[in-house]
Amino acid sequence: MKRVKTLTGLLLLGFASVVSAQHAEDDWPEPMKTSLTGQLMIDRLEISQTDNGDNVVTWDAIGWYGGDEKRLYIKTEGENQLNDGEPSELESAEVLASHLIAPFWEFQAGLGLRGSLDSDVNREHYAVFSLFGLAPYRFEIDQSLTVNEDGDIAASLEAEYDLRLTQVSYLQPRLEVAAALTDALDYDRPRGFNSMTLGLRYRYELSREFAPYIGAYWRQSFAKTADLEAARGKDDSEFGMVIGVRMWF
Amino acid sequence: MAKTLPSSRRKFIKSALGLSSALVLARLAPVWASPLGRSYGELIHSDGPIDLLIEQSPMNVAGKSAFPITLNGSMPGPLIRLREGQRAQLNVTNALKTDTSIHWHGIILPENMDGVPGVSFPGIKPGETFHYEFDVTQNGTYWYHSHSGLQEQVGHLGPLVIEPADGDIGADREHVILLSDWTFEDPHAVYRNLKVAEGYYNYQQRTLSDTFDDIKKQGLADTWKQRSMWNKMRMSSRDILDVTGSFYTYLMNGRDSETNWTALYRPGEKIRLRIINGSAMSFFDFRIPGLEMVVVAADGQPVKPVTVDEFRIGVAETYDVIVQPKDSQPYTFFAESIDRSGYVRGTLATEMGQQAEVPELRPTPERGMDAMGMGMDHDMGSMGATNMDSMAMSHKGHEMASGSMDGMQHQEHAISATRPIAPVIDIKHTKAGHGPGAAMLAENPTSRLNEPGIGLENVNHRVLVYGDLIGAHPWPDEREPERQIELHLTGNMERYMWSFDGVKFSEVDGPVEFHHGERLRLVLVNDTMMDHPIHLHGMWMELENGQYPRPRKHTISLKPSEVVSLQISADAPGSWAFHCHLLYHMKAGMFRVVSVV
Repeated sequence: MKRVKTLTGLLLLGFASVVSAQHAEDDWPEPMKTSLTGQLMIDRLEISQTDNGDNVVTWDAIGWYGGDEKRLYIKTEGENQLNDGEPSELESAEVLASHLIAPFWEFQAGLGLRGSLDSDVNREHYAVFSLFGLAPYRFEIDQSLTVNEDGDIAASLEAEYDLRLTQVSYLQPRLEVAAALTDALDYDRPRGFNSMTLGLRYRYELSREFAPYIGAYWRQSFAKTADLEAARGKDDSEFGMVIGVRMWF
Repeated sequence: MAKTLPSSRRKFIKSALGLSSALVLARLAPVWASPLGRSYGELIHSDGPIDLLIEQSPMNVAGKSAFPITLNGSMPGPLIRLREGQRAQLNVTNALKTDTSIHWHGIILPENMDGVPGVSFPGIKPGETFHYEFDVTQNGTYWYHSHSGLQEQVGHLGPLVIEPADGDIGADREHVILLSDWTFEDPHAVYRNLKVAEGYYNYQQRTLSDTFDDIKKQGLADTWKQRSMWNKMRMSSRDILDVTGSFYTYLMNGRDSETNWTALYRPGEKIRLRIINGSAMSFFDFRIPGLEMVVVAADGQPVKPVTVDEFRIGVAETYDVIVQPKDSQPYTFFAESIDRSGYVRGTLATEMGQQAEVPELRPTPERGMDAMGMGMDHDMGSMGATNMDSMAMSHKGHEMASGSMDGMQHQEHAISATRPIAPVIDIKHTKAGHGPGAAMLAENPTSRLNEPGIGLENVNHRVLVYGDLIGAHPWPDEREPERQIELHLTGNMERYMWSFDGVKFSEVDGPVEFHHGERLRLVLVNDTMMDHPIHLHGMWMELENGQYPRPRKHTISLKPSEVVSLQISADAPGSWAFHCHLLYHMKAGMFRVVSVV
């Protein structure tokens, strides 16, 4: 304990000397103040009509606050099938601490929650680790590994690319892949690749902050996941048209 | 405020007043920017104390209501005119709600008069008056501006002209042309937009149709090679200015193009134009179509005359040029932002109300591979017919093996064979790079002093390059540098991080140390894809451009992946600011304190 105190003291002393080295008098202000900032990005808020005639509202949002290297993130994704009498399905709600480890990459770690929004039955708590950033060729990437309370491990990849058509319009291909490294049958995630979603959206910026879009997606479930869905009377593939808006604050 | 003018000048004013009675523009913006030019007594010119009141007041900017920071009621502030040899006394009163300051840009003065809060003094609190007092030991064209927060962006700036001791300005008349960039947005919002949304202000990005055009022009394979280089780097070749004319209203002496600030002249007169780039973020290319300009001073310091048709002026730089129109036609002052996203014009005329043709904006240029610091030593074969038009060739250009040579040949013509080559500097680059704050590392930085810069490579008239600048006379300290300090300009556009050596100001562990009395060489390496105007307070930087005498500067603009060397006499004891003069780069951390001990 004593050693910790001494160390802390030394660290503080070091810090103090750093500060005083920067400007001539201690009570003078810093010549340049760094400020923290943040953003709430609602990447997708859309309504889709599937080939089964279902209407589904989907959200996908990321918020962050912090400096250049260290940031706090919240991420959430989910959907609600309209008129099915069931509550919204929360795909993820995560709080993560993020650290910039390379010019274009952040390593993030945090805690998350997924499941049905109104009952505890299928609610799943998990730890999450993400590699988040911009890959060469400007693919926006979010790859995550999650471990739930039972030790089930799942992985996901989200990739987006903005192809600029004009100064204010974009064509955005989008890929989502979900896989389970262990069987998590309680949560409908048998081991292996679970599903893949491919999307294509055309977005038009009314302003940099507000951009409506239209598009389409195709989702395919694989192997055991497909069997599970078939057992519930669902198709293993789904096609849908979407209309939505991307906005940030 | 006593106005003391020599009698010869008084006579001149009389005749100048006879030229025109129209001063209709004077109500809109600074009264000093009189069409009659120098000596129409509205400027502040005094041997006694000068009072400046800083406040925020509603004002009409470019036809819209705005709320800029004004000095003595005008934005930009009053023209302060001093004389070499006098003792300047300036009382600056802060009527703002926040702290403020005035930095006298380019002026050699004691540390505590330099006006940088936290470095030279504590700043000026609301309601306080700060008394600046210093000996004026130089002459030329300078300017002043706030060094507090982002105040400079909202108009806290003005021109500062120092007359030579003998009063001879080498011309019959003079006009100050102060360029600035105005935004109706809160500058803090601008900064945040840059921080959270890369490319927010850039409406000149490459689109799919540019790619198709390239494929048509140079084939699929070469287009792919070129685009993949940029895309692998996750950078944009159209990233030229962070804030563009899509948002900024560019001003000339506080007036927009519509208002058409007009300077009057009489045919045959020699007119000295004092051009100051007081922008927060904008580099300009300045020309007067139909009129050649003789550059006689750079950053206030005299240079051997160079005749040009156009010059690039980095943020915070100043140039003095002499023009001598023989006929009586009007001419356009044309200041075009270097990404061609906008311009501001004014007119040089014999009567108010005249105007000349306003040139079209030239096409948006594109950065070439040179911006990435690949240099010319790289395997050009593999790059094939890289977009040569946009590639400014260094003097190594002749080593190139293949590709369309058109652009290069132009370039060879543009670079005069007589221009010397700057000394070759060995630079240190750790392979590890500069951490996550630096997205790029110029592997093979080159001297680019003889290149006119992006977008000017192929113009068919004379463009000033740094290599043209020759000091008018030798400077007092002729010693060889004993020591070398190397600093790298680093950045990460994606997150809008800017720094020296990958370390933001808030994270550095101490000042850059100069030893008092030493002669040193400062080597700057631009490890970014942007142009940066780097400003040292308190001491001159003599640019090693191979010329003798070397030109001396207070602000030196570095092109992407460029290396420059500067000789400095560390003769000013104290702490001095050293920073990129792009306001938001400085704010982001591209700032250091130089301590002369």
